[in-house]
Amino acid sequence: MDRWTERDVSMPVVIQDRIRHLRLIIRDDPETASKYIADYIIERIKTFNPTAERPFVLGLPTGSSPVLIYQHLVQRHKSGEISFRNVVTFNMDEYVGIPRDHPESYHSFMYKHFFSHVDVQPDNIYILNGNAPDLELECQKYEEKIQAAGGIELFLGGIGPDGHIAFNEPGSSLKSRTRVKTLAYDTILANSRFFGNNLDQVPRMALTVGVQTVLDAREVVIIITGAHKALALQRCIEGGVNHMWTLSSLQSHPHPMIVVDEDATLELQVKTVKYFKSIEMVASELGFRQKLPRKRDSLIDEGALLVPTRNQSNGTRLTVPHQDISRSASPVFEPMSARLDDEEAEAKVMQSWDAVEDQPSVRMSARVAG
Amino acid sequence: MPSVVATNGDSDFAQRSSGVTKFTNCLLAKDNDLVSEDLWVSSTSGKILNGQELLFEHRTAPDQIIDLGGRILSPGLIETQLNGAYGFDFSVIPEGGAAAYGKGVLRVNKSLVATGVTSYLPTMTSQRPEVYHEALQYLGPSGSARDPSYGSESLGAHCEGPFMNPTKNGIHNVAVLRQPTCGISDIADCYGAAHIGQASPIKLITLAPELPGALSSIHALTKSGIKVSIGHSEATYEEAKSAIKVGANMITHLFNAMRPLHHRNPGIFGLLGTPSSSIRKPYFGIIADGIHLHQTSIKIAWNAHPEGLILVTDAMRLAGMPDGIYDWTNGSRIVKQGALLTLEENGKIAGSSIQLVDCVTNFLNWTGASVPEALKAVTETPARMLGLEDVKGTLKEGADADLVVLSLQDGGVGGERKIVVDQVWKFGTKVFDIVSKV
Repeated sequence: MDRWTERDVSMPVVIQDRIRHLRLIIRDDPETASKYIADYIIERIKTFNPTAERPFVLGLPTGSSPVLIYQHLVQRHKSGEISFRNVVTFNMDEYVGIPRDHPESYHSFMYKHFFSHVDVQPDNIYILNGNAPDLELECQKYEEKIQAAGGIELFLGGIGPDGHIAFNEPGSSLKSRTRVKTLAYDTILANSRFFGNNLDQVPRMALTVGVQTVLDAREVVIIITGAHKALALQRCIEGGVNHMWTLSSLQSHPHPMIVVDEDATLELQVKTVKYFKSIEMVASELGFRQKLPRKRDSLIDEGALLVPTRNQSNGTRLTVPHQDISRSASPVFEPMSARLDDEEAEAKVMQSWDAVEDQPSVRMSARVAG
Repeated sequence: MPSVVATNGDSDFAQRSSGVTKFTNCLLAKDNDLVSEDLWVSSTSGKILNGQELLFEHRTAPDQIIDLGGRILSPGLIETQLNGAYGFDFSVIPEGGAAAYGKGVLRVNKSLVATGVTSYLPTMTSQRPEVYHEALQYLGPSGSARDPSYGSESLGAHCEGPFMNPTKNGIHNVAVLRQPTCGISDIADCYGAAHIGQASPIKLITLAPELPGALSSIHALTKSGIKVSIGHSEATYEEAKSAIKVGANMITHLFNAMRPLHHRNPGIFGLLGTPSSSIRKPYFGIIADGIHLHQTSIKIAWNAHPEGLILVTDAMRLAGMPDGIYDWTNGSRIVKQGALLTLEENGKIAGSSIQLVDCVTNFLNWTGASVPEALKAVTETPARMLGLEDVKGTLKEGADADLVVLSLQDGGVGGERKIVVDQVWKFGTKVFDIVSKV
């Protein structure tokens, strides 16, 4: 156990401070990284146990990285393991001015890869309308709809090679909300491959949720795969919070998780990679892995909280809110040994546990309003 | 396993029933591929829907989801040459007169749909004018009610004769054959003036283009919307080409009842070798029953013009009846020995008793065509020949939801494959299921 303590003491202060809540999961390849996320989302939804009155609100991305995640979700839906009946979805973005049924529209993407295969109710699907007569109003209403749905429980996202999340390209305000965005020339160039390499066909504008919209979600899960995104990953977790790498804003989020493949870690320090791997390994050995903290704004039924699962040998459980009181109530970024061996840490756990029980079981939106 | 899932037990949801069915876990026969896609249909409109528009515009979820367990979902089969079936002959007015004839047609429609044929051309062999005058009114397009319980749908009559060459009469009675010497007026006299022109019950006429007056008749008929097919003909290549130029677009049962290919005069078959720049290659019917044609001939024709091949049965009312000697029209009699039907007096082949889906199976095994290519010959190609390519024989949005669910059974003798009709859907409603039939 001392081994871990030493290693962690040697971690640079910058990481300890800025990404104290970050979970970085490293998998061998995009396939296993995607499967990890799909399994995670499914466990989260199941644990949430959504109903029509209390749906699970899920934020969704488009792009090449998430395709595999959708494939896994669809597959597990078809095998009867998960229903999206009481899941409300909000998509990140949509182009302005191309028809909704254009093959490159994000409506088409979502239909093709996800919605046509699963049982999300049509009325529960929200995607920005890039053909709305008043685009500003469309964006404003979108934020209101998210609020009305109770806020986003889990926002799934990917990033671009320049570290952008949704269409929040370098330079976007980290406080931004859903809005009309002019696309950077680089993005237009990159996207032209989807439009017959004809620059004139590429939309010049998009509607996108803002960085702050994503950060407002109670949990953010990001998939990053491939060597071409390695620099972005490095800047976003080893660098400082910077509006030129908008994903770096995740460092200020209480419960982010980034799932990457080995290729994406190419630019990270060996130290960083080993650190996160060791955390996962120890947590896994102890049976809970990188669980979501229970000190949260919503999620778990009071009843469920009272049924702790102490089965620590259950290595197959995923990193979801899991009723297990043997761990810290918050994913404090500190050595496992400190958390588990230290009496003081134990006391902290009990304290936080009380705090959780005291929390009223109301939605975040209600509390925000109050 | 294939299954049907009602998407919701909630009562509030059941109340706003959409009539929408989604087929999933299926292979759609589209173009020349089998694509793993879902298909949405409406039993309300009887049409194929755009699933994406349904979701985002109409915010509609399907009432039921049908898991086809990986089976093939194809447009319903289209038959362009069916002389009769189930003991009923489209060319014979029964003793009960016109009313009994009308009932007989309805009965055929209801039975036929279970074979996967969701629309067809009821076909009359050469008859005296009185028969046409009486019968044709019952053979016109029958789909306007869009009622799935009526079964298969007539797309209009196919009149095979009587304007054909007496030397290529096949089993048609030479005594009733005629010549359109005065052009369209002779045609109108024969079929009945009311049956020629716009809103005609006739969709297709087979005639011999070398007859006097034939070319001007073809021109007039095709102008009025009736398709013309070359058949029962001694036409030379040049004569056949002239027929195409004035509007004919089809060859009736290629190879049968026409001159064989001669290397110095390719005859009607020569049209398949015509460069597409000079005239359009015609569609052509092929009877793939194993009796009418050698499989190699079929393969040659298919290779010459794959987009034109239409499989037909040329089946008649004895299909499914026991062996024996049966009365036929105009005083002739037909000998039935298994699948082989011959005319008693001269031993000529007298139509077939095969089902269309079995023609597809034969075609598949004989030519090495892919399953979607073979299905095209009974769906998209006949629909295009009839000018109905947006309505029938396709899984495109807006087309009629006439569908068949097919199983492909492997592993027969010599690795032969067999296509079996498992389910039939008409106007978005299931009308046949092999499981509940038993």
